Amino acid sequence: MTAIQSRPGAPWVGQGIDRVDGPHKVTGTAPYASDVTMAGMLHAVVVTSTIAAGTITKIDTSALLTLPGVRAVFTHENFPRLNTPPVIPFGDTPVAPLQDGRIAFHGQEIALVVADTPQQATEAARLVEVVYAPEPALLDPADGRPEPLSYLPDTHRGDTEAGWAIADVRVGASYRTAENTNNPLGLMGCVAAWDGDHLEMHDTTQWPIALRQTLAAVFGVPESGVRVHVPYLGGGFGAGLNQWAYKLLAAGAARALGRPVKLMLTRPQMFRLVGHRPDSEHQVRLGAARDGTLTMIEHRATSLSSLDHPAVGLLTAGTPQVYACPNVATVERTVRLNRRYPASMRAPGEAEGNWALETALDELAYELGMDPLELRLRNVSSVVHPPSGLPWSSNALVECCKVGAEVFGWSRRDPRPSSMREDGLLIGWGMAAAFYGAYLAMSRARVTVYADGTAAVRAAATDIGTGTYTVITQLAADLLGLSPHQVDFQLGDSDLPAAAQSGGSGLASSLSNAVIDAVTHLHGELLDLVGEGSPLYGLRPDDVVCRDGALCRRDDPATQESIADLLAGQGLLEASGDGRVRLPDPATAGMCHAGGFGARYVEVAIDPMIGRLRVRRVVSVTDAGRVLNPKLARSQILGATVGGIGMALFEETLTDPDTGRVANGTFGDYLLAVSADVPDVEVIFVGEPDRFTPAGTKGVGEIGLVGVPAAIGNAVFHATGRRLRSLPITVDQLVM
Amino acid sequence: MKTTRSTAPAPTTQDEYTVDVFTVVNGAPVQWRIDTRTTLLEALRDSSGLTGTKRGCDQGACGACTVHVDGARVLSCLMLAAQADGRQVTTVEGLVGEEGQLHPMQEAFVRHDAFQCGFCTPGQLMSAVCLLREGRAGSDAEIREYMSGNLCRCGAYDNIVAAVREAAGGGA
Repeated sequence: MTAIQSRPGAPWVGQGIDRVDGPHKVTGTAPYASDVTMAGMLHAVVVTSTIAAGTITKIDTSALLTLPGVRAVFTHENFPRLNTPPVIPFGDTPVAPLQDGRIAFHGQEIALVVADTPQQATEAARLVEVVYAPEPALLDPADGRPEPLSYLPDTHRGDTEAGWAIADVRVGASYRTAENTNNPLGLMGCVAAWDGDHLEMHDTTQWPIALRQTLAAVFGVPESGVRVHVPYLGGGFGAGLNQWAYKLLAAGAARALGRPVKLMLTRPQMFRLVGHRPDSEHQVRLGAARDGTLTMIEHRATSLSSLDHPAVGLLTAGTPQVYACPNVATVERTVRLNRRYPASMRAPGEAEGNWALETALDELAYELGMDPLELRLRNVSSVVHPPSGLPWSSNALVECCKVGAEVFGWSRRDPRPSSMREDGLLIGWGMAAAFYGAYLAMSRARVTVYADGTAAVRAAATDIGTGTYTVITQLAADLLGLSPHQVDFQLGDSDLPAAAQSGGSGLASSLSNAVIDAVTHLHGELLDLVGEGSPLYGLRPDDVVCRDGALCRRDDPATQESIADLLAGQGLLEASGDGRVRLPDPATAGMCHAGGFGARYVEVAIDPMIGRLRVRRVVSVTDAGRVLNPKLARSQILGATVGGIGMALFEETLTDPDTGRVANGTFGDYLLAVSADVPDVEVIFVGEPDRFTPAGTKGVGEIGLVGVPAAIGNAVFHATGRRLRSLPITVDQLVM
Repeated sequence: MKTTRSTAPAPTTQDEYTVDVFTVVNGAPVQWRIDTRTTLLEALRDSSGLTGTKRGCDQGACGACTVHVDGARVLSCLMLAAQADGRQVTTVEGLVGEEGQLHPMQEAFVRHDAFQCGFCTPGQLMSAVCLLREGRAGSDAEIREYMSGNLCRCGAYDNIVAAVREAAGGGA
């Protein structure tokens, strides 16, 4: 960050300015993919399988072509042959669609109807007649074979059996989480339009560059000819990371028919075709000395996968990271079944793993007769990252715990279960610690200054509602010595410099570091225009800053040149700097890149007569490093808290055990938290800018959800004395 | 809420699948010649190009498509466009003043960051504006209860309540 600030209101980073895209969103003028229309555009509807395993022996579509408006019906028999999709970790196409008649899950894409209007296509899609040769479906997890995840090896430090043997107090239990479906409010879909070998794609992806790469490879065209547009998208929560089959279906149909094709999924299809958080089971064993010092942690976890595409996993990823225990083992497996594709959803894996670990710690605290907060404080490794032995680049977990306790009033808690009552209600107070691993991905960005004093930042990123537009505008304004209204951040277009996905809570950090680097290169570009007689002549990029349309000596801002004059002197109208993420070499950085930390404190009130549970208070304290915009960061934590309440109390995608069909795949049947389910949440940020990168951020997208389910479950135990180890916690489990 | 049929002529059908609908959208008379199966949501979006109103479920369960019909909030995905014949429809585009100024509820939403991705926002706004008319903004609990037909997957509920509370206090 520059040391010199002169604009009124600067520095902008750290200020809670309103979302720069807010006026577009409240007036309905922000363009989402579903709003795109083109001349000659046709409408496509996906037809899905009604069995979970087998092959299609006959699919009769001839009668459909006589219906009004129907232009084509694609099946595996006539859909264009596609190249194998590229491997993109956490972002690939599970299986290219309509390439053969094999069925691997109930609800799989088996045909595509294309018509003049959506109504015509929808009606025709209902009339497709399919004959299957069903095969026995692998649906029961007990029948599957657990297999390891290639990128997530088992971890061991110390000797857990020895740690178990020396423990004074031991707990061990199984925990379960249900399948949750991302369900962004925006139905996912796209408009695909070809011009020769050039493809324009308006989509709901969180990763425009990965979609470009996939489309180019699958259709055998140059990446330079594929352009993905996603200026806005209606949320994602991970569902927009993979290059789902519907995108290839629309693009393939559009190419075959020579006309633009629009394909929007239905809400029931959103439960089947764009990923989910899979079911998980965890066995956790903890051992501790009488004073609460952990002597061992063992976490074995299993997630459910689809036949052709494994789960994201990461259930155990956070477990070895936080506590200074010398003996830790994690073992993670996944079981493939004839079920729909799992993928990333809001703190994938780490949300589930934290639920298991932090619930087990609460159980341990009760076995010890120790305050759950004290147990965390005794064991948190706040200086050293336990697996690597390196110092954390930042870690304010202890502060999170203490500040949260103070604000919540934790010291007034009577630890005995069912001891706190109010008007016939059982009151429970619970807490949990939280961690979400650091993630940075390669991003590029271009920063351009113009002769009129304005500037632009360009990167092929997305803003899924996280505030990317706004925070990068603020950062660039500071770096360029301008006001935010003078900076135009253009994103959501794959022709812009390649950027990371909106995923892993890594985009703001990745992009910020790329923008900082780009501004340094812009300084170099501007210095290249300086004449020999100038007082700036011969300075290096780090010696200068931009401010108020001038290039200034960093240590003497009065020594400056007008950028407009520098440009005019060479007949230029603009100057640009290209930047990319530059990371310290982990081997020589001498520190462990820290992720986010947090502490969640929850109060529940339970009516024992009818089992009604209300979350009455939440205090959520987070160390996310530098907070670029506290208003938007608070919204992120609020939203993630709502997601955590949903995971804890409502969300459960049910699979029929006999057919493999999603049994509750509508918003009428799948419960999620509504306004009346959510209390006023107190959001607090603590900690310091992280020292691993210049931006100092650690990501604020996912950490807010982590810890919420365990804090709720622990509060339920405190209220009722019932230890409920399976999510969601529902009314029937709470009737006393 | 107006429940009687208007005095406008009944929709005329051209053939089995076509109907002419005369309505008023955001104060301007509109004629749609549309497929009989067209919902009000689809007519607004596809026939009139008013894409501010969003489709989130097509089953009346998420509230993203909320508009006003004769001043009452309606889920436009559950209403056939033909049923809007002779009625007054207001969409999020109609909240903006003639000079382009934001409605106080829109301003409050921006100020309180009452959205993230923005997809549910038009429906939230239309519900919120009606909520004040219905006299249901007396307390936070009441706002929450009567805004619970509008899902926000990003989870901006606390900020939505704050925005509605402020707009209610401001006499919006």
